[in-house]
Amino acid sequence: MTNAVSMSGVRKTFGRKVAVEGIDLTIPEGSMYGFIGPNGAGKTTTIRMIMSILFPDCGELSVLGKKSAVESKDQIGYLPEERGIYKKMKVGSFLKHMGRLKGLDSRGLDNRVKEWLDRVDLNEVYKKKCEELSKGMQQKVQFIASVLHDPDLIILDEPFSGLDPVNMRLLRTLIDEQHTQGKTVIFSTHVMFQAEKICDHIIMIHEGKKVLDDTLDDIRTRFDPRAIHIDPIGGEIAANIISQLPCVSHLHPVESAIEVILNEGFDTQDAMSAILQAQPLNRIEIKKPTLEDVFIEIVTGGEKSEDAQELRATLLAGTKNEEEASS
Amino acid sequence: MNISKIMRVAAREFASTAMTKGFIIGALVVPAVMAAVIPLVMILAMSAQPPADTGTVYILDHSTEVLPVLEDRLDPEAVKGRWIERFGDAAEFAEKMMPGVGSGTAESTLEQAASNIKSPIFKLIPAGGDTDIDELKAELRNQVSANEKFADETEKLLAIVEIDIDATRKLNEEEGYGAYQAFFRPKLNDETVGEIKDGVRWSIRQKRYENADLDRTLISEINSIRARESKEITETGERKEASGIASFAIPFASMLLLLIASMTGGQYLLTTTVEEKSNRVVEVLLSAVSPIELMTGKIVGQMGVGLSLLTVYNSVGIMALIFFNRSDLVSPLTFVYFFIFFILAYFMFASLMAAIGSAVNDLREAQSLMTPVMIMMIMPYIFFMPVIRAPNSLFSTIMSMIPPISPFIMIMRVSSTDAPPTWQVLLAILINLVGVLFFLWFAAKVFRVGLLMFGKPPNLRTLIKWIRMA
Repeated sequence: MTNAVSMSGVRKTFGRKVAVEGIDLTIPEGSMYGFIGPNGAGKTTTIRMIMSILFPDCGELSVLGKKSAVESKDQIGYLPEERGIYKKMKVGSFLKHMGRLKGLDSRGLDNRVKEWLDRVDLNEVYKKKCEELSKGMQQKVQFIASVLHDPDLIILDEPFSGLDPVNMRLLRTLIDEQHTQGKTVIFSTHVMFQAEKICDHIIMIHEGKKVLDDTLDDIRTRFDPRAIHIDPIGGEIAANIISQLPCVSHLHPVESAIEVILNEGFDTQDAMSAILQAQPLNRIEIKKPTLEDVFIEIVTGGEKSEDAQELRATLLAGTKNEEEASS
Repeated sequence: MNISKIMRVAAREFASTAMTKGFIIGALVVPAVMAAVIPLVMILAMSAQPPADTGTVYILDHSTEVLPVLEDRLDPEAVKGRWIERFGDAAEFAEKMMPGVGSGTAESTLEQAASNIKSPIFKLIPAGGDTDIDELKAELRNQVSANEKFADETEKLLAIVEIDIDATRKLNEEEGYGAYQAFFRPKLNDETVGEIKDGVRWSIRQKRYENADLDRTLISEINSIRARESKEITETGERKEASGIASFAIPFASMLLLLIASMTGGQYLLTTTVEEKSNRVVEVLLSAVSPIELMTGKIVGQMGVGLSLLTVYNSVGIMALIFFNRSDLVSPLTFVYFFIFFILAYFMFASLMAAIGSAVNDLREAQSLMTPVMIMMIMPYIFFMPVIRAPNSLFSTIMSMIPPISPFIMIMRVSSTDAPPTWQVLLAILINLVGVLFFLWFAAKVFRVGLLMFGKPPNLRTLIKWIRMA
């Protein structure tokens, strides 16, 4: 399989600030990659370098088999983090202008624009000025502008921010659709649960460095927390019995459950049946690592420090805000 | 560089600026309307007829000999005759100055218009030599304050004229002639007042000639010196003498027009660049075109705006020259130079504007960086007088070679009556081309870095840092 994007040793500084520090990565064609990391991690800078909007200080970069995106701009669709439209321009004209700039022929362009507007339930805005649209509508128009020319590589920088749940689902369907058609999709988000829902491959960036580059399944296996969540009938007293089991290292309460941390060398499946035999339970499940957990573990080196708590708090805050915004 | 993308950007830039109501009204319709209205106003003014006054004029003639002459002079028929004659002269003059315009008024219509002329009608009433002038004035004052309407308009008292006893004959040789004094009803027509005054003066003068035994016709013949049109002998032939207006107005207008056209385009370029940047639309654009393509497209698009302005104003100018039959004042070559210098001047200013626009976050921040541009803009005004007085002085020559003010100075020299040698014009074009390349290089560097830089507005030092960076 050929690579849609490959970078090696790419570094970018702004004055004294190092934004991206020696990133190597390859993104095969037809895959769906997620760039995750907190705000200011270097995601947008990396994406801008892939787009050849910024140029790396050093390192090799190739996009769709070309030395830089400059030569393959027309095959790339890009939705920048900062949404931008011409306020005074009509939606139809704006999309046609973008289509023409992306090398589309003016013939049939009008129909193509109308079809896309139809698909995102915006067929009535064709003649409206961009400034008359709501923020969510503008975002959908922007999305159309990035996929209108049927690109092979689609790069979406924080595509979901500011969308309501209905439109978020619509956008996800559209992205999935593009992926199914064999397009390479890269998108970035600071809200990790979104990445978990969509991507099959995750690249995690922290302080300008790539800290993780793996499929979601592999990440889950590798970062198996070896923990089981239980909700015992009988509460605290029952929990004491479980803590006596040889496979159990210790317990600690988490939100609406008790987390059972297993000792090294015990199989998770065996431990579950042992726990079930020891005590009747309302609920038992293997704890799946969330990307947040993985991220925190990577960043803090597995130590539960105050820094880690803080980081988790900021990540959670990000998630919460996003959820609140969605509801 | 992808030309079709550049043209696409240029087309949008042009459309979003020039295809707006504001631009069309402000920049195109206003001069077009003026061009259409000015000749119309002139024709109207020519044929406009002020309402003629009718009424009585008291003549208190102490000299006793002016009155009979004056009665002949201000006889309604005589007045009307002079008015018709004057109208004919005006029509003839108009025909000479603006061929084509007067031709609409054919002979018959001219005669018809003449017969329709309403001239003032005066009824002269001599006041006795011993009449007190104050009584006459009191009567006029009463009429004015009563503000009455007259069934017979001749009842209306228009003026009182008092002529001194020595107005036509000196009492002794040491003193000069006596005077006359006229009192008028307020708000009379200028023409009426003029007719009365002229009549009195003409009559007094007539009597003076007679008393001195001089032949009036002869004197007026002696006084009148006819001259055939003055011409300038040039290398190729001869042409009409350039009037003062032409030698000053045309270079000034050319310079001003060049300045307006290049600044309008530049100003719009600044606005749209700042707008694209603050809208964040610029990143979307950069995913489709490179910064240099974007900048080139925008500059070309606004050049279209400047060129359309120039075309409109130049057409108006040419029309005006043809109108006044002075199309010989500007040679076609000057127009060619004009467009060349416009493009050179525009590119330099536009590059600066694009650079400034890309560097700042809003128009307010642009103001501080605009200062050097403003200074450059003012310089042609400051140098106007010295350059136009001596278009080929050392000062003028040097100033016309320094970009970015060079195009403005050079166009003044080129359109002046004392045009510079061709090699100087070509040298200036060459120097400006180098200037354009330098300005474009500078702008491209700043533009590339500036577009995605938000936050603190840059000063000159940061701009230079960006240039090193890009």
